Amino acid sequence: MPLVPELDYGTPASPSAEAVGLTVDGNRVTVPAGSSIMRAAMTAGIQVPKLCATDSLAAFGSCRLCLVEIAGRPGTPASCTTPVAEGMVVSTQTERLKRLRRGVMELYISDHPLDCLTCAANGDCELQDMAGAVGLREVRYGYKGENHLDAAKDESNPYFTFDPSKCIVCSRCVRACEEVQGTFALTIQGRGFDSAVSAGMAEKFIDSECVSCGACVQACPTATLMEKTVIETGVPEHSVVTTCAYCGVGCNFKAEMRGDELVRMVPSKEGKANHGHSCVKGRFAWGYANHRERILKPLVRERIDQPWREVSWDEAIGRVASEFKRLQEKHGRRSIGGITSSRCTNEETYLVQKLVRAGFGNNNIDTCARVCHSPTGYGLKSTFGASAGTQDFDSVEHADVVIVIGANPTDAHPVFASRLKKRLRQGAKLIVIDPRRIDLVRTPHVEAAFHLALRPGTNAAILNALAHTIVTEGLVNQAFVRERCDLQAFEYWAAFVSESQNSPETVGPLAGVPPEAIRGAARLFATGGNGAIYYGLGVTEHSQGSTAVMAIANLAMATGNIGRPGVGVNPLRGQNNVQGSCDMGSFPHEFSGYRHVSDDGVRSTFEASWGRPLDAEPGLRIGNMFDAALDGSFKGLYVQGEDILQSDPNTHHVAAALAAMECVVVQDLFLNETSTYAHVFLPGSTFLEKDGTFTNAERRINRVRRVMAPRNGMADWEITLAIAHAMGFDMSYGHPSEVMDEIARLTPTFAGVSYELLDRVGSVQWPCNAQAPVGTPVMHADAFLRGKGNFIITEYVPTDEKVGPRFPLLLTTGRILSQYNVGAQTRRTANVIWHDADVLEIHPHDAEQRGVRDGDWIRLDSRTGATTLRARVTERVAPGVVYTTFHHPETQANVVTSDYSDWATNCPEYKVTAVQATPSNGPSDWQRDYGEHARASRRIEKTAAE
Amino acid sequence: MTTRILVPGDAAARAVGADRVAAALQAGIERRGLAAAIVRTGSRGLFWLEPMVEVETADGRIAYGPVAAADVAGLLDAGLLEGKPHALRLGRPEEIPFLKRQTRVTFARCGIVDPQSLDDYRAHGGYRGLARARELGPAGTVAEVTASGLRGRGGAGFPAGVKWQTAADTPAGTKYIVCNADEGDSGTYADRMLMEGDPFAVIEGMTIAGYAVGAAMGYLYIRSEYPDAILAMERAIATARHAGVLDGFGLEVRVGAGAYVCGEETALLESIEGRRGQVRAKPPLPAHRGLFGRPTVVNNLVTLATVPAILADGAAAYAALGTGRSRGTMPIQLAGNVRHGGLFEAPFGLTLGKLVETVGGGTASGRPVRAVQVGGPLGAYFPPALFDTPFDYEAFAARDGLVGHGGVVVFDDTVDMAHQARFALEFCGIESCGKCTPCRIGAVRGKETVDRILAGENRDANLALIEDLCQTLRDGSLCALGGFTPFPVMSAIRHFPEDFRRRRLPATVA
Amino acid sequence: MEIAKLVRMANQIGRFFAAQRGRDPAAAIADHLNKFWEPRMRAEIATHLAGGGAGLDGPVRDAVGRLREAQLLSVRV
Repeated sequence: MPLVPELDYGTPASPSAEAVGLTVDGNRVTVPAGSSIMRAAMTAGIQVPKLCATDSLAAFGSCRLCLVEIAGRPGTPASCTTPVAEGMVVSTQTERLKRLRRGVMELYISDHPLDCLTCAANGDCELQDMAGAVGLREVRYGYKGENHLDAAKDESNPYFTFDPSKCIVCSRCVRACEEVQGTFALTIQGRGFDSAVSAGMAEKFIDSECVSCGACVQACPTATLMEKTVIETGVPEHSVVTTCAYCGVGCNFKAEMRGDELVRMVPSKEGKANHGHSCVKGRFAWGYANHRERILKPLVRERIDQPWREVSWDEAIGRVASEFKRLQEKHGRRSIGGITSSRCTNEETYLVQKLVRAGFGNNNIDTCARVCHSPTGYGLKSTFGASAGTQDFDSVEHADVVIVIGANPTDAHPVFASRLKKRLRQGAKLIVIDPRRIDLVRTPHVEAAFHLALRPGTNAAILNALAHTIVTEGLVNQAFVRERCDLQAFEYWAAFVSESQNSPETVGPLAGVPPEAIRGAARLFATGGNGAIYYGLGVTEHSQGSTAVMAIANLAMATGNIGRPGVGVNPLRGQNNVQGSCDMGSFPHEFSGYRHVSDDGVRSTFEASWGRPLDAEPGLRIGNMFDAALDGSFKGLYVQGEDILQSDPNTHHVAAALAAMECVVVQDLFLNETSTYAHVFLPGSTFLEKDGTFTNAERRINRVRRVMAPRNGMADWEITLAIAHAMGFDMSYGHPSEVMDEIARLTPTFAGVSYELLDRVGSVQWPCNAQAPVGTPVMHADAFLRGKGNFIITEYVPTDEKVGPRFPLLLTTGRILSQYNVGAQTRRTANVIWHDADVLEIHPHDAEQRGVRDGDWIRLDSRTGATTLRARVTERVAPGVVYTTFHHPETQANVVTSDYSDWATNCPEYKVTAVQATPSNGPSDWQRDYGEHARASRRIEKTAAE
Repeated sequence: MTTRILVPGDAAARAVGADRVAAALQAGIERRGLAAAIVRTGSRGLFWLEPMVEVETADGRIAYGPVAAADVAGLLDAGLLEGKPHALRLGRPEEIPFLKRQTRVTFARCGIVDPQSLDDYRAHGGYRGLARARELGPAGTVAEVTASGLRGRGGAGFPAGVKWQTAADTPAGTKYIVCNADEGDSGTYADRMLMEGDPFAVIEGMTIAGYAVGAAMGYLYIRSEYPDAILAMERAIATARHAGVLDGFGLEVRVGAGAYVCGEETALLESIEGRRGQVRAKPPLPAHRGLFGRPTVVNNLVTLATVPAILADGAAAYAALGTGRSRGTMPIQLAGNVRHGGLFEAPFGLTLGKLVETVGGGTASGRPVRAVQVGGPLGAYFPPALFDTPFDYEAFAARDGLVGHGGVVVFDDTVDMAHQARFALEFCGIESCGKCTPCRIGAVRGKETVDRILAGENRDANLALIEDLCQTLRDGSLCALGGFTPFPVMSAIRHFPEDFRRRRLPATVA
Repeated sequence: MEIAKLVRMANQIGRFFAAQRGRDPAAAIADHLNKFWEPRMRAEIATHLAGGGAGLDGPVRDAVGRLREAQLLSVRV
């Protein structure tokens, strides 16, 4: 298993459809017009020496190694910056060129340390390769001249070092930071010989604007920017292509190894979502896999106040089965259930829901998508007919106007954000609808045309006001609506949005947005060309989450922005496999492929395949499980890979519900917060240790490949199988690929999916079947999946969570770049240096009123609970709005969130909580009590043998 | 009737006391109650005669110079206003041989008109060119410029009409005209003289260019070392805008920040866009994708200021001048160790020897001429043996030299050509933008290698190394800064080899 | 289960479907409850209706009345 090779064509592919033929060193080659000579040569298998060129960046032409000769043209033009022309005759290797290249290389090496043998990049250095390729044999200038060999190293970043003594000033890092990442943290300072790469204004990397995405490290051809793991371990020698287990962008990475040790994660250029880019999480934050707190042996205990006892797998699985069987005998078939995780693979998720439906004999299976994107599934199914986003990520390259609503891509979906920013820098217009001034509102070379800083909870109202403007100002795409949509439904909807309560002038004051801005944004979206809408949990996690999703769908249909590249409705999924876990039938009311359990035809197919009778009634959703537990009718729970105590709203309520259950089984990497209420802990494995698939936000099914053996000795899917077996329900698979084969057999939209196909084409977007053998990048191209597009009336209903004298502020929650979800993984990496605690963002006005200064402790009270955290005084939030993240269990932000939820799906209303903030001098009582409980609950008794 | 006395306001004249002369004249006129008014003009370009004062008399203009403030009383006493004799009287300026030998097309008005008077500009033929352009239409205008044979006067000598045609043919909603007035070559001042002496010609030229290629916006990039020119252009632009002669064409001045390399057109565009002045690779040509990614005509100021005359008098008249493929006139700037330093506009074809010896009058020191550097700091050094080279783009190129922006710097026999070669490399190192490797590292290594030669270390090997390096610089550099540095270096080595083999005292090395 | 919560959730659903045009809100609400509410939730809300249905909005009462669980109750009564 060698390193997965990636050809570097030197310059990006040309999008042109026109073909141009030329001759390179006697080889005839045909390439798209606009291709560089360098790329054409590479296509013909001829590698022109190069250092500053790499195919992820626009040609730059600075290293002067790639010079070629062209018949009939004077001089020696650079092959990276010179485009091909029909009939061109190019020579890449002449005496003159050889001499020139040696001359240039001689200059390079005259200012480079001669320490190849001890250099961390030895064997993985383009400068070294090129010195060899051009045949440099001596440096006649000597090494006594002016040089940079004493330039000081910057080791401030936890993941990579910057050693300017090895820098060849090719600007690849600077260009990657600009072109690929869009952060513009790096620059070249000084001129001429003094030109040097600099983070910010000659700052240390850690103090600069650098977001540690790794693009510069990736781009560096020498050891100048180098992963610390490579410096410590050595250059990797083999690699496996897999998929990142963080957000829903679904980046492909090459896990590069030495022996069985992971040396680094390198974003794969073949990755169709990331095209070789990455963020600080996927690129660097994988160290948790080896964290000392990993649990590797099963644990059991009778009561949660006891310490854990390490047991054998047999004993643990036996305990789970006997307890679940006992509970079902005593409390009924529907007294137990399971929760799948969006962090797990499709195959694992599928097996857990199968275990519940067929093994437990009920439909009490839910997934964490319940608390994030369940409204997306409901809303888009009702309007379009498919519970999924309509586009691929590449689509953004064709967008002209982009609405980002309730999403913060630069933090939560960084790699997509970089692609969006690139498009915006090319001139696309941006409309941000968000209570906070997220980075996209104004970031280098990007400025939103409109930022509608609405009050939390008024999404539906604002979306209706946008629709009002579009309808009443005659901006509807009549042709699209006539041809593609249900006309009666459209008429009802148009009449509704035209009503005065939906006008910008009415909605503006209640949402806190100037009416003219609403109108301006609506006009821009309706008339600005290809309009695309990207949204996140700021849309779904509301009592009107589903309503807002439908309002977004309505807007897209009314403006004809569906069914082609550059448009569409794009939910940005928070976790790696939100889409997949929903697709796999994790919701209590539907089988895989979004088919309701009450559908006799569908159910009988599954019954036939699984050999068990299945329940025709929907099961409990997560929140319902808690309610039923407190009721005494729900007693046992199998939670795979999800920390419901930390991530679900109203922590007191969740804790009470867990405490009321008799058998809580947690399968996870670490003793998470939920496990403090668990009776059985089954150690899980990281994505690096498993085979499977993740489905990202664009419906792309990506392969997850085992990089190393499961450290716990058992793959996650095998654990589920073992539980099923112990409960008397046999599922038999030899490999996760066989699980996928069953999914494909039973799910029409997955009919064409197999590991064989994925290995062959990399990844596919469902629907993937006979009609679409290699998947469907853009959905609803000719007709909506449901037939006609369905406009739905989206009346604005204010949430019951209201501010008042006791709770005058609105709290909204979100995430930050360096941390992921409940932080179980990222908190166990060096990412904590960027965010070691959750803080409360509060506007200076509100802070001053309360006598709170930046960094002070602040107590946050709501109707459900209280927590304490540090204040960050900032104008990023509007007066009256406060904001925090939920990454740290010490804060437990969800202690204050309510159990109000979306009307259709029970997705919790995380984004609106009425709170009061007051100065404080330390943690709340709950925090202290909980801290004590959590510590006590994590004790592990040593076995006698040890 | 009020008599007009013309005192140059040109920075070169001011540097030798023109302001003090003007003040003394003003005081004298007032004290004596004379009916006279002082007008500050541009310079005629006869710098050894500056401050050169002219007075309008019935017999035409009469010149006096060089005038010091102390001379003013005597001049007035002698009857300056009537053009009467005086020791400083030069007679009719047009008859001064240095001027009489010239063919002034681009500089026709410079030193004659009140540079800030639009009326004066019009009275001397201004805006006839734009009027004719409008008659010809955009395509006709481009054709006219092409037919004139006008080539870029910044140094590259690229046909202006072809460049315009390319920009005109590139479809885009927004296009730009950029006037390059980042005049950084040693011994050059033509751009500056025009901006200070005839700014409306620049404005009219840019307006015509905008009309011809379909650009509605123009930027005039002036080096920061030219404060007078910046002020003159800004005032003239404001005047033109108020007078309505811009006709919707937007025009703005952008000031450089001291980098020589920003005279390179793509670095200049980067600078206007607000970035570091770093050279862009070509293609894309600016005419295809230039300023802010839009089709852009970047022309040298002299090129653009010549356009009104070409349009006004027809392409044929201009093309009739010159030699070979070098058509029209060239404003040659004589500088350095030369007796008659100044601006000499003449049709291409004059030999270098005639320029230096006859027009320039030899060295100012009176010693024999040893070398002449033509085309700025990156131009070749020509020994008297090459004085038969005609001033012509191709003829200079054939002898490994370049015409450049028309700067001619004269050295006498005290010059050390090895030091001049070292200086060229040092200059390249200081002014390098740092983008391409040959220039970034090569300039420094070159300087170090010359130092070793000067120190007598392995002379033959190091001279061979310099030759190799020059080849790398010439063929490998991204722009002309690195690409042309071999001209002065190699010409010094080739024509003055003895200077590289001389035994030196260690002290002279530093 | 906490009945106040079920009533609130049912009314939320009711409010949405009451705003739709061209269809019977009660039927749509009942359909939603059948599709997404687990049987014991439906049974509890039906029992609550049978006991007077305090707090339930108009169309929601109608809808809950149409649930199989409610009809079973009325049969039993």
